[in-house]
Amino acid sequence: MHETSIVNSIMKTLEIEFDREKLDKMKSIHLKVGILSNIEPRLLHNAYSAYHMSHPEYSRVALNIESTELKIQCEVCNHITQVKNYRFLCDNCERPSKNIIQGEELLIHKVEFED
Amino acid sequence: MIEKSPKTARGSVQCENTNIHLLKANDFVADIIRKEVAKTKTLLINITSSPGSGKTTLMQKTAEKLKDKISMAVMVGDLETERDAERIRETGIHALQIVTGGICHLEAQMVHQVLDKFDLENLDLLFIENVGNLVCPASFDLGEDYRVTLLATTEGDDKPKKYPKMFLTTDLMLVSKSDLLPYLPFTVEAVTKDAREVNHELEVIQISSLNGDGIDEWCDWLMKKVNEKKGF
Repeated sequence: MHETSIVNSIMKTLEIEFDREKLDKMKSIHLKVGILSNIEPRLLHNAYSAYHMSHPEYSRVALNIESTELKIQCEVCNHITQVKNYRFLCDNCERPSKNIIQGEELLIHKVEFED
Repeated sequence: MIEKSPKTARGSVQCENTNIHLLKANDFVADIIRKEVAKTKTLLINITSSPGSGKTTLMQKTAEKLKDKISMAVMVGDLETERDAERIRETGIHALQIVTGGICHLEAQMVHQVLDKFDLENLDLLFIENVGNLVCPASFDLGEDYRVTLLATTEGDDKPKKYPKMFLTTDLMLVSKSDLLPYLPFTVEAVTKDAREVNHELEVIQISSLNGDGIDEWCDWLMKKVNEKKGF
């Protein structure tokens, strides 16, 4: 259910962002999805296929999903740590940090159009 | 899976680097809600948890304790039925049911649609009781001032790391059904440790709506936030 509403949100966002003429030439949509966004790429692909049943005009548009790892940057020592096991601690100075620099994103990163 | 287009692409490919946030439409509406409750200085609290961890019972208890001190109301989201709103109304406060019709979370648009059913001008505190689910509601900003997550002792003290996004975005964790602690292999220390590894700023209060433990501390927390919002 969640994936279906995310797909609806993607398509609605693109329809606001680009005009119809451009959308007709859309070739691929590239998403950047962080591990913390609670999005499972495979389920999102399935939801996108289901969306095509009601919106065949987009059935030739490919969906590409890039998953990103979780990274924090320490506010004190500036060290960047890749978070493992959801322990939000700096690798270097062991201070807790919520300064997430990667892994939370849910972005339409790139859209390709046929010229 | 996606079927590949039988046609190969012709001509050159134009590309736009966008970086549009996928929940942009939701966040836009959430900001409208935030501005509306800022105008009336109404404290907006988003209550999340798994199904059955005691959100509605806590709403009833909180209403009984605070309804004579401040004006408060609840909007409650569920997939079906009006049962929760009816239970909350029995305490004498205004409650409105949002039936999501199968959707597993509340979105800002749903909240905004019913916001004018509340007399915000004369409301100190508005709760949004979210759909019982620790996954999807974590991603949807509803324009709230604070997010409060209930975790019942019956759920097990290993939950925060299983649902990291929820506990990362929560301001206060209420460990509910504390009256059952003597009978369960659950410790408040373990759940607090697990949750604070995800979110070191998380506040924790232990409550029991059944025997009243911690309810005063929870109501004090609420009153402090209500007064802060009013600028007292």
